[in-house]
Amino acid sequence: MTRYEYGGDEFIFVELSESMSLEANFQAMAITKQLREEKLPGILDICPSNASYMVRFKPEDIHPDKLISKLKELEQSVSVDDFNISSRVVDVPILFDDPWTNEALMRFRDRHQDPTSTDLEYAARINGFDSKEELIKAITDYPYLVSMIGFVPGLPWCYQMVPREQQIEVPKYVRPRTYTPERAFGFGGAFAVIYPVQGAGGYQLFGIAAAPIYQKEQRLYDFKDSITFPRQGDIFRYRSITMEEFQSIEKQVEDGTFRYLTRDITFKPQEVLENPKAFSDEVLGGLYA
Amino acid sequence: MIKVIQPGLQTTVQDHGRIGYYEVGMPPSGAMDKYSYTAANILVGNDENAAALEITYMGPVLEFHQDAVIALTGGEIPPKVNGQPVPMWETLAVKAGDQLSFDFVKQGARVYLAVAGGIDVPLIMDSRSTYTLCGIGGLDGRPLQAGDELKIGYEVKHQVKIGTRIQDELIPTFSKTNEIRVVVGLCSYRLTEESKERFFSIDWTVTPEANRVGYRFKGERLNFVEREQPFGAGSNPSNVVDLGYPIGSIQVPDGVEPIALLNDAVTGGGYATICTIISTDLNKMAQIKTNEKVRFVAVSIEEALQARKEYKDKVAQMKQQLQLS
Amino acid sequence: MPSTKSQVLSPIPGVFYRKPAPDKEVFIKEGDAVKSGDVIGLVEVMKNFYEIKAETDGVLESFLVNEEDILDAGQEIAVISVQ
Repeated sequence: MTRYEYGGDEFIFVELSESMSLEANFQAMAITKQLREEKLPGILDICPSNASYMVRFKPEDIHPDKLISKLKELEQSVSVDDFNISSRVVDVPILFDDPWTNEALMRFRDRHQDPTSTDLEYAARINGFDSKEELIKAITDYPYLVSMIGFVPGLPWCYQMVPREQQIEVPKYVRPRTYTPERAFGFGGAFAVIYPVQGAGGYQLFGIAAAPIYQKEQRLYDFKDSITFPRQGDIFRYRSITMEEFQSIEKQVEDGTFRYLTRDITFKPQEVLENPKAFSDEVLGGLYA
Repeated sequence: MIKVIQPGLQTTVQDHGRIGYYEVGMPPSGAMDKYSYTAANILVGNDENAAALEITYMGPVLEFHQDAVIALTGGEIPPKVNGQPVPMWETLAVKAGDQLSFDFVKQGARVYLAVAGGIDVPLIMDSRSTYTLCGIGGLDGRPLQAGDELKIGYEVKHQVKIGTRIQDELIPTFSKTNEIRVVVGLCSYRLTEESKERFFSIDWTVTPEANRVGYRFKGERLNFVEREQPFGAGSNPSNVVDLGYPIGSIQVPDGVEPIALLNDAVTGGGYATICTIISTDLNKMAQIKTNEKVRFVAVSIEEALQARKEYKDKVAQMKQQLQLS
Repeated sequence: MPSTKSQVLSPIPGVFYRKPAPDKEVFIKEGDAVKSGDVIGLVEVMKNFYEIKAETDGVLESFLVNEEDILDAGQEIAVISVQ
């Protein structure tokens, strides 16, 4: 049952599902897209999230109960079946098991479920993989849907487009770290993330992204319109890279010449839900063609 | 120009906030006590969204390098010009060469200093507010430092007579025990009935972790309803599938120490939120210090909207009074 | 010789520390001589550490608060006797 809840006098929070699924995320995306198109007066922010969404409004312009009625109507009228998502497929290079996140995670072993192994080793073991290499392969074999943006500017929550039984799931740290390096690639619950800036965090740390996803100076091409790169609905493919490639990308970022490899895409949720493997092969084929 | 001789503990440039970017994870920042901030701008005749200084716990020492009209509002951190006490909540004139300093904080936590014309820093995503976590807005995205120079802008709408005062009944009073009104909702279904009841019946103490990002409270442990955790939520009973956090929402990671998320907070995450501070009481929250007590009071949405209306009436009254004087 | 007492107050609320770091010695012991401007402790709030300094020369007679106590703004931290 969907929950419609007041978030004080300026927010409505709608929980479509308590558990994560591609269906719930596509539904949140479809409803918020329709809401955006209707351009109701008094709407300040429309924030789709993983299995829920949130709307910020001015109660002087629209009464919260009226807004809730509207949102309930949308839940009935909006169908995921005839909904198109126009977004980008993006190649996101990651250096797994890197020295920087390793240094950070070793500093906080006392806050971790398993102080005697690294986050990668721990996650591989509890997900039934024989080695961390196998875990990395599972993470990089299939692309992810950017299912939510938030926490700090530009942080993408990414949900792998594979059937439930193939999903990787890990707990968050017992107590959050007070430090996470900028661009760290982490995993928590069923979500992969990249930390845009240095800061606190509770996700398991597996590696580091070679290129930024947040750039306040907006020097790179990918940031010319926004200081944040990821957009909800994007498809991210995390690709494991070597230290040599990592350094070469860092150099390009420094020179201002780096550009993410991207392809525009329009797809229907049904394509993903019905055959994730075929969808994945198709988008990755298109990306690296 | 205003020269920063000493920065104070944490003094930042703030305006009404960075509105409309929550979707990309950008919190609003902005003045934490909007009521006092608005009063300060009104007293100097500024556009209501002009940037002012937010001073926390301990005042800076500032030297004016030009004549200026200023106003100080908010908590009571007694101001002095050239060592002589000057009133708060009043339009003041300062001369080039004057030095503004402050005594120890007496009441409240934050003071707003508005200067006729506003503090002139670049607009970033439609706002001049400082967001230190990502280093954007304000002066180079950080709190003031000794040696900084602040330019005064041109956002004056009208002249206000020196000595104009906000009426006493419109000046807030402060206490070391506070009632903060919240609307229960969000993921409150996660708390046990007993814990929900306890949340509203004990005095919570503000810990030293109380800043623009959020306030953390000490009190007692709260318990969550037992369940098999839903897929993707994470293993702790306080975890939910990561979702959006309203501004002012309260969460209880692991059941210990509730956190109220404020102006510079994270916009989403994986902890169950249980209620939201009503917008008018966020102003009050901003004036509560470490070690002071808070009692949360549940109100209905209609009561929250009524409080909001009363707040707007007070601001309207303030403006009207000033136009008459 | 007549002596007067001078109070050292905390201008801010926060956590009080007598040591610069957990594994270091205290800034000053009770009974030690103190000079105006000497740091006698730290108060931590909002992840800032504020140095509490003596404002007079004398002898640090006693501390009125303990390590890691949470202080109110304006709370008395120590007494210095001034010769």
